[in-house]
Parts: sequence; structure tokens; C-alpha cells
Amino acid sequence: MSVPRRRMRRHVTRHSDLAPDQGQRPRDRVVSVAGLVGRPVRNPADEVVGQVSDVVARWDTGEPHPPLAGLVARLGSRRAFIPAELLAEVRSERVTLTTARLTLREFAQREGEVCLARDILDRQLVDVDGVRVVRAADLYLAGVAGRVRLVGVDVGLATLLRRLGPARWRARANPDVVIDWASVHSFGSAAVTERSGRVAIRLDRHRGELNRLLPGDLATLLEDLGRHERHELLDVVEPAVAADALESMHPDKQRQLLTEAGPPRAADLVALMEPDEAARALRGLSRQQRDRLLAAMFDEQADALRSVMAFGPDTAGGVMNTALVVASVADTVEHVRILLRVKRHVADLDAVVVVDEHGHLVDDVSLEELLLAEVTTPLRELVGPPWPVWVTPNTPIRRVADRMLDAHRLSAVVVDDQLRPIGRILADDVLQALLPGLGPRLGPLRLPRPRWPA
Amino acid sequence: MGASAPLSPTTVAGASRTPDPRSGQRGWRVRLLALLAITGPGLVAAAAGNDAGGIATYASAGAQFGYHTLFLMVFVTAVLALVQEMCARLGCHTGEGLGSLLREQFSLRVTAVVLVAFLVANLGAMVSEFGGIGVAFELVGVGRFVSVPIAASIIWALVVFGSYRRVERVFLGLALVFVVYPLAAILAHPNVREVLSQTVLPSFVPSQAFLLLSVGLVGATISPYVQFYVASAVADKGVRPADYPRQRMDAILGAVFANVVNMFIIIAAAAAITTRAPLQSAQDAGQALRPVAGPFAAELFAIGLLGASVLAAAVVPLSTAYVVSEAIGTERSVGKSFREAPLFRWLFTGQIVIGAAVALLPGNLINLLIRTQILNGVIAPILLTCILILTNRRALLGTAANGPILRAVGAISVGIIGAMAVAAVGFSVAGWFGVGG
Repeated sequence: MSVPRRRMRRHVTRHSDLAPDQGQRPRDRVVSVAGLVGRPVRNPADEVVGQVSDVVARWDTGEPHPPLAGLVARLGSRRAFIPAELLAEVRSERVTLTTARLTLREFAQREGEVCLARDILDRQLVDVDGVRVVRAADLYLAGVAGRVRLVGVDVGLATLLRRLGPARWRARANPDVVIDWASVHSFGSAAVTERSGRVAIRLDRHRGELNRLLPGDLATLLEDLGRHERHELLDVVEPAVAADALESMHPDKQRQLLTEAGPPRAADLVALMEPDEAARALRGLSRQQRDRLLAAMFDEQADALRSVMAFGPDTAGGVMNTALVVASVADTVEHVRILLRVKRHVADLDAVVVVDEHGHLVDDVSLEELLLAEVTTPLRELVGPPWPVWVTPNTPIRRVADRMLDAHRLSAVVVDDQLRPIGRILADDVLQALLPGLGPRLGPLRLPRPRWPA
Repeated sequence: MGASAPLSPTTVAGASRTPDPRSGQRGWRVRLLALLAITGPGLVAAAAGNDAGGIATYASAGAQFGYHTLFLMVFVTAVLALVQEMCARLGCHTGEGLGSLLREQFSLRVTAVVLVAFLVANLGAMVSEFGGIGVAFELVGVGRFVSVPIAASIIWALVVFGSYRRVERVFLGLALVFVVYPLAAILAHPNVREVLSQTVLPSFVPSQAFLLLSVGLVGATISPYVQFYVASAVADKGVRPADYPRQRMDAILGAVFANVVNMFIIIAAAAAITTRAPLQSAQDAGQALRPVAGPFAAELFAIGLLGASVLAAAVVPLSTAYVVSEAIGTERSVGKSFREAPLFRWLFTGQIVIGAAVALLPGNLINLLIRTQILNGVIAPILLTCILILTNRRALLGTAANGPILRAVGAISVGIIGAMAVAAVGFSVAGWFGVGG
């Protein structure tokens, strides 16, 4: 039922289960939560007994469309909970009960329940399919699979204007820009809980989808969210995915996130970043913050970062990745494959550095060559053209780009003055170092998505 | 001075760059500018409130009422410090800007009213910025019908195409001209005894003109957009509650520092311009700088006014667009196109177009500048009330919420400013019907 960013009109016509009463207009089939608040609650004798004060949904059933748990109604001076079973009819303009007898207990939120008007309406949400942060202008309920459920969120400006109008307009659900609730990631929780001590609800339903987002897209979401929501989202995704997203964030936002995360958490994130990206992020922090963060890391990681940071940000040394896979000319392809398996950040390597017995650079053998060679082949036999691009740490990044272009290579090996390899620069590092000069970053590119396995 | 940093990093996403570690090698002037820029959002924001409208209002206050407004300025400084601290606290403890907090904490209707008020105040500010640009160029012989449209187009393009950050420091440098006001005030040999007594002892002039100008001084000092800026800037710096005390000092000192400069503008104007009549032209306003610049006073005034106006003319519409988009929840970034972030772009563009258009209407520009500040002063209590309610909420700030003393002081301050605004509106409305005067 994943139909993102589509008008509800189309959505409803396609999914007849949403609409028990065929032949009605879409606006009559859905009930607006914003409109429902303040509407009269009537008993079976059609007498007004109170007013709707909030709509409660069950959040912990794991279903894409949370079922209605009940309503909170103001009955006299009390705010009482009316369970869904006692609701005969929930319509835009009124709510009717099945019974005249109600137990009037003050409403207390239970675990797994969310008050839609208080906790979700007007708050930030993530449209997972559309990869954007939205704010709920209205929420819609409809009958799906035999129960009243939360089916969609409206993010249209026209809906906000409708809510500003008289009560009569407010009740009239007039779906504008509606996102199917199945593709929405909400924060019913941390933000609300931390501020007011209410029940925490963690919704990890979209963990898989969020983990599959491109780092740049996840970065955009993190940048656009408020602080509490941002950290909740960060908690939901895999740490490595979070680190990748952090790498893609705008430097100012990166600094903000690391600052507000506090040293231990920030150190964990930075440790998972590529060393060059981590160094770039650390450069954005104040000296005091940087020292605190490095102190919270393992010594080996901290030292590696310090060595990268010793070089200027526009030089090869300043953007290089120190996680190298180095093999000797005498090693076999088999040996290299084992090395690759145990080394971290392997995904970002495009070749393996080959050195002689003194540790001096001999060649940079591409993964393609390694893949095609017999496992018993010694690397000595793979040494030969095309020769690698090698630069010193102080080479300006512009020069590195030129050399890579001249040689048609996607990476360059950084060597010290003895020609010993100390790092690698990949094409994306060069791009990242040169791009800021080309103006502001553009928003995410909307493209059809391949069908990824669940 | 205009804000040296745009509203929020997000507003100029991509346009800003990573800090350059080699900046230490550059000249002392650049370092001084950089120091001013990084001293903190509070300081920068407080200084940013001092835009074209502000300077015209302070100069006019000195010219018309001598030192009589100084006591009011002390009160307004205290209120500014109070409000700015509250905004910084909100930004630090919630990590959100005021636009977002309004939407989440108030009903949609209240949010809409506040946002409309904010929009109107900022439109007024934009009119005054373009008025300032017009005045600055008229002082050097270029008509406003030429200068204002060109300036509006350039500012729009600089922000939209992402080059604003690069030229920002140039205008900040120009706006720094106004730090010569304290020197001008001293060289003008003011009556020190009178200055001190009027600063310490309450003094008012019982006239409608004094009331209106007082509301203008409130509006010029407590500019709504600056308060919104402080909250987002603190939130965007990622300052954690544990690190708040430093931020608090920054917010309070910033408010005091900026207003000391403002008071010197009043003193300089009061000492140099002795007509005790409303300012009629920019030439007159520039006279307060005569003790420093001699015959070039008007030119120096023009340079400062241009810098301050251009800086604010870029920051104010960004602030508006950012806050409104944040509250509504639509895409907000300068880097996005009209199609991707239509509301953000149109709000930004619309403010520049309307601001520039109103500044081109026939009439006295200096009067226009002062009127926009009165408008700000009338709107300020609405926004201050919201800020006070938000900082009073324990559900939002927990233990960082206002205690009983801050609640009381805040309520009394907002009450006084609100009463002044109501009285000013009342007198003005009565004036339309020929009553009072």
C-alpha cells in the first residue's frame, strides 16, 4: 500500500478497502483528525454528552496503518477515554457511541498508544519514500480491513488554511497533498517524551528502508529535522549508515550534530567515518571539542586522524583515507583476498597497493585485475601498466585531480618522501574538496527507485 | 550593523564553507572582523538590530528630544537582554527555532497570527533597509529610483546564487563605520551631567511625538527578526544545555554592548544637532558624525548606512522565509529552486520586491525609516508574549523554564511595552479622526 506523495483521490480509488461506502466522494470517506477535535460526542439517543479532545491510535501493532484505539473526550470536567469498541460511528461532523453508559475515568496514556492531535499533528515526520521531512497539517482516518485506522497524513498548505477557517471548514476533510501513512516514519516519542515525560514510543518499522537510503538522502533528512527527531532517527539507523550520512552532511550541520551529540556519542560516529571524512568533520569543531572527542576514541584511531589533520584541507594529505590495503610483491592473490576480508572500509577501495621488500610503492593493482587473476598468482606477476597515480601529502588537491584525469584513474596513492604509501585519495574525495567552489548543493534528485529485496 | 552571519547555516546551505584554519595568517583587520563574526550569535544579533531604521530612529531621538530618551533606552536594554537570553535558552534547550516551536506549542491560529505579525514587521524592516540604501545613495547624488531597484536585484541574486557569504564581510566592514559614534559623541562635548542624570533618572516628555518615538526606539532595539535569529543560531550551533551558561553571557553582553553603541548615537545626535525638531533629511542625520568626519560626515554616514542596510536586507527576508517555512514544514533552503521550495523562494523574493517598491513611494525617506520602527515596536509585544509563554512552560524547558522572578519581570516588561504600543496605536487612530494630537 505504498503510494507516496500522491493525491488521496487516486489513492482511495485504487484501494477499495479504504472505502467501505462505495460511491462516496473521497472527502466523505476519510475523517480529518484536526476536524474531529472539538466535535460533539453523542449517545445513542443523539444527545450531546461531550466533545472530542484527542484521537488515540495503537502504535505497537506493527501494522502499516495503526488502528484506532479510542477517543479522548471531554465529558464535563473530565477527560475520559472512550475505547473504539464503544464507538458506533466516527464521522467528520460527529461521533456516536454505542452505549449510554460510560465509565468516567480520567484519561491516562498507556504504553503503545499515541494521541494523534497532541503528538503527531503539527509535528515533524519523515516521508520515507519521498525522502523529505514534512509537518503534519492533518491526519486522516478511514475504515481499512474492518477497523478505523490512520491512513494518511496531509502536508498541503491548503489544508492548513482550511484549519484556520471556521469549525465548519475544519471538519471537512479535503485531502490536498496526502502521503500514505505506510511510508511515513513518525517520532511519536523522544521529542514529546523528553519535554514532557510522557510515554515513549519507538517506531522502528522503517528501519530497513531508512538503512537503504543513499547517504546523501539520509543526510538531507537529518539536516531538516529538529534536534530530538534528528537524534531519534540517528538511533534507528545502523551506526555505519549514520556515519555515512554524517559524511554527506553540510559542514555546519555536521558540526551541529557532533556538538549536540556530546563527546562519547560523537566519538562513536566519527570512528565509523572514513578517516579523511572524519578529519574534515573534526576540522570544523573548536579545538576544545576536537580534543575531547579524540580523547574519547581509541588511541590508534585518534592518532590516524591526527596525522591526516596535520595536513592542510586542500592538500592530498588532508583528504586522504589512511585505511589502506597494502600487499607485498611476493604475496599471492589469495593472501590479498584474505586481507580484504578483514580490513575495514573495503567498500571504498578500488585497488590494492603493492610494495617491494623495503615497503616502497611498486604498483596499485585494481580489484578487477585481482578478480580475474588465479588465486595462486603472486602479485609480482600483476605489476605492470596501467601505472598508478601517486602524489605526496602536500600536493594541492587541484593537482591531484589533474593527475587522476590524465591517467584516467579513480584513485591516487599518497606516498611519503621515501615513496612509502601512507594513504589513498578516491575520486569522491577530490569531488568533495573541489565542489564547494561550484556553489550551493542541490536538493535530492527524485528518481525511480529499483525494487530492493525486503 | 547587519548580521555578520546569515540566519542559519541551513538558510544558505552550501554557500558557507568550512572554516579556514589558515585564517590566522591574514591581516589584523580581517581577524578583527572574524572575531566580531564569531564572538557569538548574541553579540552579532544584537549588533544586527542596528540597521538603517534603527540608526535613523536613534539619531532622530537625539535630535528631537535631546537626552530625554536615554532612560527609556536603559529600560529597553534590560528588556532586550531579558528577551535575548530567553531566545538563546529556547534555542539551546529545545534545539529548535522559534518557527518550529510556535507550530508545536501553540494552536494553529495563534501560530498564524504570530507569523503574520512577524511577516509584517519584517516587511517593515525591508522597507527601512531599502529606504536606507536609497538614503545612502542620495547622499552621494544617486537617485533612489536608480539605486534601490539595482540594489534589490543584486541582493536577491547574491543570496540565490550563493555568493552572498563572499561579499558579506565587505558590507560588514562598511557597517562598522558606526562604531565611530561613541567617538563622535565624546568629541561633540555633550553636557555630561545632563547625560548622566537623564540616563539614571526617569525623564519623559508628555507628548504624542515622544510616545511614538519611544515605541520606535523599542521597535528599533528589539527587532523581531533578531530574536528569531538568536534562537535559531543557538540551536544551529548545537549548543547543549550543559554549555548554556557561556551562551547566556553572550546573549546578555551582546544586548548591552549593542545598546551602549545605540545610546551613543542618541548622545552624538543630541549634542551635534540642536534644532530639537524631528529629523527631516539624511543630511541632518549625518551631522552627528561631523565631530569625527568634518565636512565628510554625510559621506561617512552614507557608507555606514549602506553596509548596515545591505546586510539586513539579505538577512531579514532569509529570516522570514526560514521561520515561515519552518513553521509550515515545507522545504527551506536557498539552494533549492522555485519548484522545489516555492514558498521559501517566493517569501524571500516577495519581501525584497515589496520592500524595494514601498521604499520607492514618494515621501520623506527618513520619516519612512522611523515609521517602520514604530510598526516594529507595535508588533514586538505580540512576539515577546509568545517568547515569554514558551520560556514559562515547564513542559517545554523543564528546569530551565522561567522561575517566579523571571516570570514576573518578563510579564511586567512585556506589559509596559504592550501598553506603550496600545497607547501609540490609540493616539494614532484618534489622530485620524481629528481627536487629540
